Amino acid sequence: MIVSAEHLSKWYGHVSGLNDVTLSIPAGVTGLLGPNGAGKSTFMQLATGQLRPSAGTVRVFDEPIWGNPSQYRRVGFCPEQDAFYEHMTGRDWVAALAGLHGMEAAAAANAAAQALEAVGLLDVADRKIGGYSKGMRQRVKLAQAIVHDPQLLVLDEPLSGMDPLMRRRTISLVRQWAARGKSVIVSSHVLHEIEAMTATVVLMHNGRVVAEGDVHQIRALIDAHPHRVSIRAADARALAQRLLVDDDVSSFRFEGDVLIVETANPDSFYSRLTDVAASGEAGSIEEVSSPDDNLQAVFSYLVKQ
Amino acid sequence: MTTTLLASTRRIFELALGQMLWARRSVLLALAAGAPVLLAIVTRLTLAGGTAFVQINGRRIDSEAVFGSAMSLLYLRFIVPAIGVFYGTSLIADEVEDKTITYLFTRPIPRGAIVLGKFLAYLVCATAVVLPSAAVVFMVMVPFGNMAALLGSFVRDLGVLVLGLAAYGAVFLWAGALFRRPLVGGLLFVFGFEQVAVILPGYVGRLTLAHYLQANTTSVVCLLLVTIVALWAAMLVIEHREYVLER
Repeated sequence: MIVSAEHLSKWYGHVSGLNDVTLSIPAGVTGLLGPNGAGKSTFMQLATGQLRPSAGTVRVFDEPIWGNPSQYRRVGFCPEQDAFYEHMTGRDWVAALAGLHGMEAAAAANAAAQALEAVGLLDVADRKIGGYSKGMRQRVKLAQAIVHDPQLLVLDEPLSGMDPLMRRRTISLVRQWAARGKSVIVSSHVLHEIEAMTATVVLMHNGRVVAEGDVHQIRALIDAHPHRVSIRAADARALAQRLLVDDDVSSFRFEGDVLIVETANPDSFYSRLTDVAASGEAGSIEEVSSPDDNLQAVFSYLVKQ
Repeated sequence: MTTTLLASTRRIFELALGQMLWARRSVLLALAAGAPVLLAIVTRLTLAGGTAFVQINGRRIDSEAVFGSAMSLLYLRFIVPAIGVFYGTSLIADEVEDKTITYLFTRPIPRGAIVLGKFLAYLVCATAVVLPSAAVVFMVMVPFGNMAALLGSFVRDLGVLVLGLAAYGAVFLWAGALFRRPLVGGLLFVFGFEQVAVILPGYVGRLTLAHYLQANTTSVVCLLLVTIVALWAAMLVIEHREYVLER
């Protein structure tokens, strides 16, 4: 097992972040699926040694991770928070963090260039991170996680804020990573995103593991609930016109320059959205996100079962 | 296997130095160091005119004595503690507040290297600004003919400045590693407790860092000791403490 947790709990004062979780994560890609507050980020921070368990144990590659920094050679972590050294260029930042893995300056610069190329940022690598778009910031975070070629990648909501093309590219990157015999733990509150990367899913809700296994088993249940997608586009009205030609859009509305679409068929819709973005026929699409209340109803239903 | 403490410290030092050059606090540092220079120039010009003079306790004093007062009142009692508090408390606390500490904590380095690297970057940055400022004030205030005679004591003063920056910086770095928002407490210590304690009779003054900002062996040893112990304590805190960034 890549990560194993035994009766793992984490409390923040009187608030429970994770509650008696026993879980074994195998090699390959595993998705952590759950709404905000489900305990995904807490589990990831425990599994990357940033938090100390309040009770129970968590082991990575069969060794404890808390207080064991040598483990970080084998682990790459992409946090959810939008936090950076804003004044640094993407290249300098990723190279500096590579240097903390013991690489000499030339090797670190080379590794940084490769990582930035993998996430499609090489052309803007010499711009300051403070000037990056939200999608670029997500990608540079991903670059710092892969720069030392880790055995295990832990990605906390990595697709949040990315445009459709970069989502596709990032999903492809995760799959390629797994194809090279490495492992990935990726969290999301959007089933469609997780499903595009793996069929192995852990469902979390209120700090507990609700279910784990093959994603297809819960698929029908989630599909029965309408799925909302929020799209920030240069020309939201032109995009709406272009998307309305197919019947996978149940309804739509505008909130300023953001188009909110409700779909009963997320797979078909996301695929079409990516094609529209690639063609550029409805202008540029800057950001796609999916509010976590899509899952909330499903999880409430699951917990009651 | 982790990267060695020395190698990791060097890399954190390089990273932190770059950050400091861009930090908003650097403006404060530049102002703190620039103000005495401006003050010295104004004072010197005024005194040179012969129409004004400076009196302390009713006695007229020359520009050399004004320089001595500037060194003890401006640099040692105000600028050094202020820089120590503002920078020292921010070295770790800002990384936690900005949530960038994650990127350092998930690298195979001893956490103590973060303390040492950031402290060294602070010390280099602070001394690189404060010492030239003091040197310019010295050159402005002390008549050219007297410089050679006063050079020895001036160099000792510079040494005390460096040791003061180190001690205050280390103590408040430790406070920053220990507490989430240490700035207010630090300011109260430096501009409240220390200012009162040094003028109180008895031994209370010895509990302040200000008491040891002197060029004598005991003070130098005490400042070095405080610096080393505070750095060690900060390293210990950061090695064992978890920093909860969200929630």
